[in-house]
Amino acid sequence: MISILVIARTVWIETLRRKDIYVLVTMLIAFLLALMTLNIFGIRNMVSYIKEIGLLMAWVFAWILTIGVSVRQLPQEEKTGTIFPLLAKPVTRLELIIGKWLGAWGIAGVASVIFYILLAGIVIARGGNFNLALTVEAWILHFCSMAIISAMGILFSTRMNSDAAASVTGVLSFAAFVLLPKMPQLTLDLSGWRRESFMFIYYALPHLELFDLRQRLVYDWETMRWEPFVMIVFYGLLMTIVFLMLSWLAYRKKKFYRDVL
Amino acid sequence: MSESSAIEIRDLTVEFSTGGKIVPALQKLDLKVVQGEVYGFIGPNGAGKTTTMHVLLGFIEATSGIAEIYGKDVRHSIARRRIGYMPENPQMYRFLTGRELLIMAGQLFGMRGRPLAAKAAELLDLIGLAAAADRKIAGYSRGMMQRIALAQALVNDPDLVILDEPTGGFDPIGRIEIRKIIAGLRSAGKTVFFSSHELSEVERVCDRVGIIANGSLIADGHISQLVKAGETLEQYFVSILT
Repeated sequence: MISILVIARTVWIETLRRKDIYVLVTMLIAFLLALMTLNIFGIRNMVSYIKEIGLLMAWVFAWILTIGVSVRQLPQEEKTGTIFPLLAKPVTRLELIIGKWLGAWGIAGVASVIFYILLAGIVIARGGNFNLALTVEAWILHFCSMAIISAMGILFSTRMNSDAAASVTGVLSFAAFVLLPKMPQLTLDLSGWRRESFMFIYYALPHLELFDLRQRLVYDWETMRWEPFVMIVFYGLLMTIVFLMLSWLAYRKKKFYRDVL
Repeated sequence: MSESSAIEIRDLTVEFSTGGKIVPALQKLDLKVVQGEVYGFIGPNGAGKTTTMHVLLGFIEATSGIAEIYGKDVRHSIARRRIGYMPENPQMYRFLTGRELLIMAGQLFGMRGRPLAAKAAELLDLIGLAAAADRKIAGYSRGMMQRIALAQALVNDPDLVILDEPTGGFDPIGRIEIRKIIAGLRSAGKTVFFSSHELSEVERVCDRVGIIANGSLIADGHISQLVKAGETLEQYFVSILT
């Protein structure tokens, strides 16, 4: 357990010192400040627009950061050779996987809190409001979705370089978010193995749309009932564990060598 | 496995698959390193030195055979609890300072708090990096990188220190310091297993040497037993390989 936390903390230190996170926060601030000027066009119901676009940006930036930090961890260790002194310590491959995932997920989670606070500040400054309980609910589910995406990124980076892993994770998570909910309708005309193949993908990929409460926040709906909320959190936990276990299976026998032949 | 063995390797075979071909890196290697000795592991390029070390450290799983450290199978992380390792051309986390790296390395061995901070300070002093302790490793020279790599290998006060080409990046003064550190480890009863192309260095510091060629051990013993009077280790090495 200590090893996992030590590895995760190293990821946090690296990300903070690489300054990627500051670029994203600065971009979000610039974007939100630009949103504040929208009233000059005379658009009504500005607060809803700001919430909707701001939340979309918070999701997009958190998605970029989650994938960016997750996929580079293992390939970077191998490329630079820092994997050798690290694995020479009494650290198991599973601890390494979980530590890297926890580090990447944690940093993305902290960044998303900053994004939500910034957005809430802008909305409140414009005379709108955020239902605190609903915002916390929305953030928790968003945080769960980042756990899954981060675990996906770690999985693909066990056997791919960081660029390839980022592309695959990006495409799959985007498809899981946008296309997956529509898949049952798209397969209505299919039958037999074709339909079964699509339905297999439908159940195998994570349903990230379940974690999205943006519409509730934008239109100030009520908070979710706790039963479905807990079930979605549990689903997120389960999918994360599945991806982390697959990562471990892909990584546990991986050979590391440099200039040995 | 006898109790005094730090390393025991039996019938170890490692094969790599490159370009569809199976290339043997180690072939039924047998090797034993006794607790408290300084063992030099030498051989030409591609002989299998680094592969052997990588198997011992769990980076590579052997195709067949047995490798144990203090009686523990090297495939389990517990076998690495009493080891310190310094890789060849070491690369450390460039975003950490030297002190942070040593603290992190110590924490991975379960160390913490003031004893760990004191150990880090002691090691930084030992390797002559006390003044650069709070500078990021990204700004270290090659020699400084070697020194911090050596320090992280010693942070857990290991019983077995594995050094892969430890003097490679050092200037003559640095080499003398490394020699002193190895002598200090020997007098503290530690085992040192190191590979090097610097045969004069090996001759100076080692109790015993093993010569590996084409993945098999072709000579193993005390230097005085292997090398005739008036002959150097280098001359013996060349004669046995040609």
